[in-house]
Amino acid sequence: MNDPVDITPVPAEETPARPRVAASSIANARGWDFALMMATVVLFGGLGLQSFLGTVYVWWAENSVPGWNATGYPGYIQAMNAIAAPQIILLVVIMGLCVPKRLFSRTALLAVSGGMLACGLLVWAVDGSLAAGLTAYLFLAALIQVAVVVMTVAGARGPSYLTEGRLTKTGSGLLHLGFIVFAIVVVALQRSTLMLPVFWASTALMLVGTVMSFYADRLAVRRVQRVVVEREF
Amino acid sequence: MDIASTQAQIARLIDLLSTWGGPIQAVLPFAAIALFVVAVVPSLRRWLPVALGASLALLVIGEALLTWFHWRLWELCQVVNPMTGAVHGSVAVPLWVESEKLYVWGLVVAVLGMSIRRHRAELLPGAAITTALLMFGAALWGKPFTEPLPQFLGQYAGYLQAMGSGVPQLAEQAFRGMEGSRQFYYNTWYMWVHPPLLFISYGAFALSFIATLQMLRTRFSAYETTAYRWARFGYLPLTAGMLIGFPWAILAWQGESWWWSGKVNMSIMMWLLYTAVLHARLYLRRRGMWRWVAALAVLSFVVLVLTYLATYIVPGAHSYALAAPPPAAMASLTPIAGGIA
Repeated sequence: MNDPVDITPVPAEETPARPRVAASSIANARGWDFALMMATVVLFGGLGLQSFLGTVYVWWAENSVPGWNATGYPGYIQAMNAIAAPQIILLVVIMGLCVPKRLFSRTALLAVSGGMLACGLLVWAVDGSLAAGLTAYLFLAALIQVAVVVMTVAGARGPSYLTEGRLTKTGSGLLHLGFIVFAIVVVALQRSTLMLPVFWASTALMLVGTVMSFYADRLAVRRVQRVVVEREF
Repeated sequence: MDIASTQAQIARLIDLLSTWGGPIQAVLPFAAIALFVVAVVPSLRRWLPVALGASLALLVIGEALLTWFHWRLWELCQVVNPMTGAVHGSVAVPLWVESEKLYVWGLVVAVLGMSIRRHRAELLPGAAITTALLMFGAALWGKPFTEPLPQFLGQYAGYLQAMGSGVPQLAEQAFRGMEGSRQFYYNTWYMWVHPPLLFISYGAFALSFIATLQMLRTRFSAYETTAYRWARFGYLPLTAGMLIGFPWAILAWQGESWWWSGKVNMSIMMWLLYTAVLHARLYLRRRGMWRWVAALAVLSFVVLVLTYLATYIVPGAHSYALAAPPPAAMASLTPIAGGIA
């Protein structure tokens, strides 16, 4: 989530000779990134629309149906959960695809993602609980994301990002890890004694990650020259 | 606990606030109109920093008075268990609840407005108009100086009455309600952190919205950068404010239907939309993408306004709307207080 209009040249020592990659392969990767991002935005929009329609319905029902809070609310919650569940599962799956995309090529990514999904489905089938399956899936995603963050901090060339600069990349990695951990809290830990410590850990990851991602240029010890390109759309 | 003396001191305190703050409240709508006029009439714009600065000074003086009022309330409003006589503590009413919401929001927007550096000339009128509208709303509907904290003072007055009624059950019931409100609403750290974080984010998003409108008008990418900078500044406290509400809601609203309630829905929708804006703009260089980013940003701000209004319109656990349980019914919180009774 850095600023695409600002072009920040990377210092020479941070740009070691990268393996030459065909332009079509880069374009494919960018297209894949864009598709995942658009799917994320569409799902955000879908959940947002559902939230809005739910709000309008609550407003209507509370004002038109006497005693709705006591009689109709449980049914409403069930309906909202049923509509949201596939969207949230898709969002989790896309997040799961976004995480290993930083480490694997597209072909390997599909295999890894398929493996993660299979693990989640297997746990669901064995345990009989969708929450358990989702937790298993999220746990695997969290493990990969931890690897991504560690590699990014270490300056390894593996992880690929849309953004430039190690601080920004680390921030992005941390905040996505925070979201995965928060999703684990919501799905699996709401009634656990671990809920609060894990929740605070996810909050810290998200907030620190967001600050690093947004304000990397101000936090950096070694600053690079900033060239701002302003233009008409 | 000397009930009669406490009642008299609170009444005197409210009188003092009205005497000292009444003139500020009377001036507020006129100051708001003046600020609005200076912001919209181009020939007067050179006075805008002065007008906004003067409005900010007025708001700060009023806020200092309100802070003193809250401090005195904290000293006066103790909660005592009628069965044991034990003092459970004082009520620390946050500075941004009930009648003071719009006032504090106006103050925050004025501070943010004065801090604008990039595209100051273009953004300042919008910040001033927003401040003016909030000041006007605070004076007309909030009335923080002449009708302060109606719900809290009403509940505490009821508690004092019940304590002095000589009916043990009535006193105990009132105590449970008041102590529930004290522990899980007024004195909880969450209430001291969550609203100001959201006020800061709402103010920053308002400035981001103004910059987005400038981008749409001029098609100049520099405004998009400004809109993004304010949006990212607002996104951080929004995320923090919403996140810290989660464990609080699980504890304080245990047994209540708060998942998918109106305000929660709208807040989630707003956060999702701003997250979508920040993701979509990563592809700003794509042809035509700026239009989508701008449309999402405008939609996000419209939803922000609706989210704020939802508190007053849509009933639910997080609402002042009619069908919601009144604050005096915070007694419903007491079961989770465990050992209170």
